[in-house]
Amino acid sequence: MTTNRRQFIGGAGAIAAASSFPMPAIAQAKAKVVVIGGGPGGATVAKYVAKDGGVDVTLVEPARRFTTCFHSNLYLGGFRSFGSITHSYDKIAKAYGITHARQLAAAIDRDKKTVRLAGGRVLPYDRLVVAPGIDIKFDSVPGYSEEASKRMPHAWQAGPQTRLLRRQLLALKDGATIVMVAPPNPYRCPPGPYERVSMMAHVLKARGHKKSKIIVLDPKPNFSKQGLFVEGWQKHYPGMVEWQDPKMHGGIKGVDAKTMTVKTDLAEYKANLVNVIPAQMAGKIARDAGLANQSGFCAIRPESMKSTVDANIYVLGDASIAGDMPKSGFSANSQAKVVAMMVRGEVAGGRTFPARYSNTCWSLIETDDTVKVGGAYEAKDGKIAATSTFISKTGEDAALRKKTQEENMAWYAGITADIWT
Amino acid sequence: MIFAAAAVAAASVAAPGSAQVTGDRALGQYLSSECVTCHQLTGKQQPGIPAIDGKPAASLVEQLNAYRTKQRPNEVMQNIAARLSSDDIAALAVYFSSLKPRN
Ligand SMILES: Cc1cc2nc3c(=O)[nH]c(=O)nc-3n(C[C@H](O)[C@H](O)[C@H](O)COP(=O)(O)OP(=O)(O)OC[C@H]3O[C@@H](n4cnc5c(N)ncnc54)[C@H](O)[C@@H]3O)c2cc1C
Ligand code: HEC
Repeated sequence: MTTNRRQFIGGAGAIAAASSFPMPAIAQAKAKVVVIGGGPGGATVAKYVAKDGGVDVTLVEPARRFTTCFHSNLYLGGFRSFGSITHSYDKIAKAYGITHARQLAAAIDRDKKTVRLAGGRVLPYDRLVVAPGIDIKFDSVPGYSEEASKRMPHAWQAGPQTRLLRRQLLALKDGATIVMVAPPNPYRCPPGPYERVSMMAHVLKARGHKKSKIIVLDPKPNFSKQGLFVEGWQKHYPGMVEWQDPKMHGGIKGVDAKTMTVKTDLAEYKANLVNVIPAQMAGKIARDAGLANQSGFCAIRPESMKSTVDANIYVLGDASIAGDMPKSGFSANSQAKVVAMMVRGEVAGGRTFPARYSNTCWSLIETDDTVKVGGAYEAKDGKIAATSTFISKTGEDAALRKKTQEENMAWYAGITADIWT
Repeated sequence: MIFAAAAVAAASVAAPGSAQVTGDRALGQYLSSECVTCHQLTGKQQPGIPAIDGKPAASLVEQLNAYRTKQRPNEVMQNIAARLSSDDIAALAVYFSSLKPRN
């Protein structure tokens, strides 16, 4: 290990490996870590890097408050308020001394190691963490567009879209037709569309609908927790949900927001509510910086979440290619702890341990009937690989399902406290 | 990547009426970051997920072993405990038992 003056001054803490960490211009300066995106990925990294001190952390995120996509389906179903899924950055900014730059990051200059904010300010970094989540590929569904999403919401990024979908759902009269265009892999939250179907069915049933229908047009031949969802739909909402795989619909040909129609190879549906969930890709800032490959997502080193194309940059959460891990808030939060440890290892001499990741996703099918799927993951054979997994079983008794819903609610309280307090 | 070869700072916690638990607190702190996604550091009991901070180390070791050997049900905890070594469990127990509930 190279000894350097700053270790005696102590301003930047001990530097474990001076060779891998370029000296800041000012001897006493703390290492600078810039985090782009304040979702469960980025906000968790910012907190965990800042928490133990000695590092200057800036979180770049335009919003003052973050609405979680997780449990936004429970908001749709009337199980939660919108306020209860919305969280402010003020607490973590104050408690851990994080600078919250309330702007979009406009560009990354990887050679100069700077981030330019939309307002023009330039932030230098020693390590950059990129966690911008997803962008919607509007043109993956013919006829769909950002404009069309005002009539046919995707509600796959939480906020006004989520509220619009709930308003549309509550306005339906008995005999209504809902069409969901489900997304192709890979997308955020594999069980999410099917939990959403369950929540829409719950609302229709609770409002006394007898004839309304939900038609799911899926580009995939099968989906996450399929056996559990299908069992739940038959049990709680008999005759209401019709799921079609590509063999049944022959291909999704397009949507028309003006006439509220959805065309497949075999049929045309006129609907009262259309929820289009298009294909997805890493947020623009990551793609513009050349961090994504042809898949639209960003390749990472499984032992650290470091970008495979730039040793000063980490990418995590939905924007990354995380092997066997699903794109979930839980996964993003889990990856963030590995990133924070590795970043502190590089710039603040923190101890590092072999990366471990985990995930659990709960889905609410009907009041007190919740199922879960989860796994543990490690770096193996060049990717993040599952070391063990589990999933709820069909036919479980009501008491177990109710207990699983209690876990789901307690997890939400836990993870949001972990991220935003 | 560099895995720090720093001397392992072991900490011991004596649990009343039971054997002493010795573990690497820094390792425990890193491993605990997985746990606090679900277990809030409030020391408060709430439905669904019990608080584990400030609990005696020996009983944490016993409970984690019960999940690891699948004697105690709950797939979430069984799956998490499956990959914990005895050293990991000791490190976690030392770390969590050393915390004072936040509020
Ligand atoms: C309906 C639904 C249900 C879900 N349910 C669950 C669930 O039950 N459990 C679960 O674990 N996950 C669930 N998810 C998935 C989860 O929401 C995502 O996987 C998670 O939000 C990903 O986190 P992230 O930090 O990678 O990205 P995001 O949460 O998308 O956060 C990215 C942030 O970066 C910001 N940003 C983007 N570009 C820039 C820029 N240029 N400059 C500055 N900031 C920028 C954005 O504003 C955003 O705040 C669900 C998702 C949906 C849609
Ligand atoms: C995905 C959520 C989740 C994560 C992550 C998690 N737990 Fe748990 N934990 C639970 C649930 C749910 C229970 C209650 C299980 C039951 O009913 O027995 C529990 C119970 C426990 C108990 C028993 C407490 C008691 O009073 O009976 C201990 C100890 C424990 N967990 C430790 C840990 C440790 C240590 C970690 C991290 C390595 C961890 N847990 C990670 C969800 C989680």
